[in-house]
Amino acid sequence: MSDYPKILLDNVGVPDSHTLSVYRSRGGYAAAEKALKSMKAEEVVSVVKESGLRGRGGAGFPTGVKWGFVPKDSKKPVYLLVNADESEPGTFKDRDILDYDPHKMIEGIIISSYAVNCHEAFIYIRGEYGWLVDRVQQAVDEAYQANLLGKDILGSGYDLEVIVHKGAGAYICGEETGLINSLEGKKGQPRIKPPFPAVVGFLDSPTVVNNVETLASVPWIIQNGADAYRSIGTEKSPGTKLFSLSGPVKRPGVYEVPLGLPLRELIFGQEFGQGMLPGIELKACIPGGSSVPVLNAEETMAAMLDYESLSQLGTMLGSGGCIVIGDDAKMPELLKVVLQFYHHESCGQCTPCREGTGWLDMILKRMLEGQGRPKDLDLIERLCGNMMGTTICVLSDAAVMPARSFISKFRDEFEALLPKGEEPEDFVPTARAAEDRG
Amino acid sequence: MAKITIDGKEWEFEEGMNLFEACTIARGGEKLPHFCYHPGLPVVGVCRMCQVEIEGVPKLQIACNSTVRDGMVVHTRTERVQNTVRQILGFHLLHHPVDCPICDQVGECALQNQYMKYGLYEADIEVGDKLAKRKVQLIGPLVMLDAERCVLCARCTRFTHHLTKTDEMGIFNRGDHSEIGVAPGLTLDNDYSLNVVDICPVGALTSRDFRFEKRVYWLKNTESVCPGCATGCNMIIGHSGGRLYRQQPRENLQVNDYWMCDHGRLLYHSVQGDDRLLEPKIKEGGEQAPVGWDHLWNQLKERVEALGEEGNLVLVGSPHATLEELYAFKSLLQDAVGGSVLGHRLTGSEMDRADEFLLSADRTPNDTGARLLGYADFSAQDLAAAASKKTLLVILQNDLASFDPAAAEAIEGYGLVAYVGCRENATSGLADFVLAGRSYAEKEGTIVNKDQRAQTLHKAIDGPVQSEEDWFLIARMGELFGHAPSWRAQHDLSSELSARIPEFAAIAGGIPKEGVSLAQGAGVEEVERG
Repeated sequence: MSDYPKILLDNVGVPDSHTLSVYRSRGGYAAAEKALKSMKAEEVVSVVKESGLRGRGGAGFPTGVKWGFVPKDSKKPVYLLVNADESEPGTFKDRDILDYDPHKMIEGIIISSYAVNCHEAFIYIRGEYGWLVDRVQQAVDEAYQANLLGKDILGSGYDLEVIVHKGAGAYICGEETGLINSLEGKKGQPRIKPPFPAVVGFLDSPTVVNNVETLASVPWIIQNGADAYRSIGTEKSPGTKLFSLSGPVKRPGVYEVPLGLPLRELIFGQEFGQGMLPGIELKACIPGGSSVPVLNAEETMAAMLDYESLSQLGTMLGSGGCIVIGDDAKMPELLKVVLQFYHHESCGQCTPCREGTGWLDMILKRMLEGQGRPKDLDLIERLCGNMMGTTICVLSDAAVMPARSFISKFRDEFEALLPKGEEPEDFVPTARAAEDRG
Repeated sequence: MAKITIDGKEWEFEEGMNLFEACTIARGGEKLPHFCYHPGLPVVGVCRMCQVEIEGVPKLQIACNSTVRDGMVVHTRTERVQNTVRQILGFHLLHHPVDCPICDQVGECALQNQYMKYGLYEADIEVGDKLAKRKVQLIGPLVMLDAERCVLCARCTRFTHHLTKTDEMGIFNRGDHSEIGVAPGLTLDNDYSLNVVDICPVGALTSRDFRFEKRVYWLKNTESVCPGCATGCNMIIGHSGGRLYRQQPRENLQVNDYWMCDHGRLLYHSVQGDDRLLEPKIKEGGEQAPVGWDHLWNQLKERVEALGEEGNLVLVGSPHATLEELYAFKSLLQDAVGGSVLGHRLTGSEMDRADEFLLSADRTPNDTGARLLGYADFSAQDLAAAASKKTLLVILQNDLASFDPAAAEAIEGYGLVAYVGCRENATSGLADFVLAGRSYAEKEGTIVNKDQRAQTLHKAIDGPVQSEEDWFLIARMGELFGHAPSWRAQHDLSSELSARIPEFAAIAGGIPKEGVSLAQGAGVEEVERG
């Protein structure tokens, strides 16, 4: 599987790849120069549209289409916000770009900003990536010095300011409108839609929010054309995608793969994970970050890594956070970790999510403590049914999807935690000592 | 206009109208279940209760953040909707302490009402698993917070952010640890703090003034108008057994939207305070003592006759009196009897700070009405100049002596002083005859606000047994001077004044709930307030 070009990780491993001189020596910023000097903004948009590039943050929305939603005749400034708030458990791909190739992202920002007529872009980096804030800032400073940012970039007449912003470490600020609120200095809570950010976003102005990986793909597309990009991957999922492989595999890490690669290749392939650790068998796999439905071993071996194939299996490509689960793991315990995360990260504005995430976590906790009740699995299913799709953003869904899939695919492990038999007819919830529910 | 179908019936609404409001109309006034939606606040869409099914849209949608579009087909009562609403209600009630027996909200609690309507399920949570949050938190001089009962609808925080712009309140923490509260170092101490109690759909925010005073379902509600300032906010007086318990705003988009200031709400205390005049009094030997009405009228007659041929009558009205009272006062005691009206207001009296919300600088309810009737300002000098030992000064509901010491001095220059009003004050203390009248809550009457809107005070309770309505006292005084009035009831006065005085023609057929503008050219095309 080495017959595809590396688009995103081509510079990783090169000494000092994060510096401007190395990036330029490897052909960097040629695409930006090409776009600014020889292309119209609309041309850039249409090339990206034709390339079929889809948002790499998780939702997979076509990038060019998203750009097309920005009103052409806006009297307000247009903003580009770079979503570097990578917080989905199991996902650490943007980190490699920020760390080893920040200029690729900056070049992507320049081209994309130009395409949507934006003159001020913000890079929102999660607080936990503190050291990367410095690294990105350094790269931005270098770019300013080389007139790749600021006024009249490379003599093209185009101006762009880029501001690096450090988040305070909330998962929900990775949701685009949560990010906008956070950047405005407000509580990081998603906004109710409509209006959509492309029309009313940051500071009530048209705003495009793009993921780091998405933007880092743009320079290559501009340089090599939409057809070249389409020649990689599958017809409906063109291009390459980063996967962060974790779990009991021999070689966990971040891999760039062409979309459509078999999942088993990512886990067992010699170029990638090289198989399970000795003594551990594959039991399950979460292909796209903790919020997507889990696949059992059989499904894992059959899955292809592209948007459509995974959707057919009832799961999603998501952020590419591929978590491999070995047969030494207990599914209820893993689910507890996942639910605890969403419980902790729910912003708390919508009732079903605020109360539901905590409730799911609480039920699973009591099950693991041997305090489960016979009908708890039914209760979980019922709660899930009412948390799914009833809220402003999809954090609620993100808690439901693992909960439902873990239980449906590994039900015996959960049932083993419950007492046998029916609940007495006259069951009345009784008071027991209130405790810290973590 | 857009044609839309709601629950199988076709309707026409403005394109872009809020779907929640459209559904309310289509459901015959029955609102969709909700906690966070409030027509006076921006939409946040967080309670997720007002779910509706819109054909062609796979997910249920919240009506409050949807708009009417032509051709839309909406279902509000399908099983799918009902089930979702029931379950979401379950989320709201999950950690609620269900301490209804000690909660003031009982009877007007959205949680309680909606549970009875859409819930009625068995609880899925064990009592011990409920999260305990802080109760009985004093967050301001008038408001008490019980975080456990809160459903986090963000109405209070939106109110303090968008309406008062004071931002004392916020939602702190996140997830199921979210709690409303006041920001560190701040107190909920603004002129409108009690509005958050009204809009709180549950018992989380309660009024320290009303707390534990009365179950709301025992209250009778009378629609009236606040007499606290020249704005004339529409209000509801809650009363029971002849006592007033609370005053709350009543929606009027022409005047006060949905809001009211705390000063106005607490005015009801003045009706039943220690300084309330409960019965007529006569001053004898420098001391005022309670008397029966017959005795008072006999004495007044005697003392007036004792003034002899040179005796005359000077009249002082009030911007607090109703149109009917002021009309009776002037038409009977001046025009018929021959007294002379000095005016209704000491220049510059009863003015205070105004704010940009509702409170007017003019803290009287009917200055505009008085002026339309021909009353005007006067000064303490005017009062002194008219004084003589042969003169009876009749003061109607005007506490001149408190506003200006010179006025108090001037009053002393009169031979006889009669005070008509409902509260003891510096002026009533100077009177030889104190005629116990009725407060705003104990009578009918019309007042005109600063924007020339005529509105009606409605009688909520009977006054003290030994008090009389002010118009009746004026009528009796006229009889004393040999001029029996033609009117026999308060409403005779309303019809007479609207028939006789062109400025008041607009109120001839009675005044609607939302009042009526007396301004020239006003009528159908009234401009809605922002």
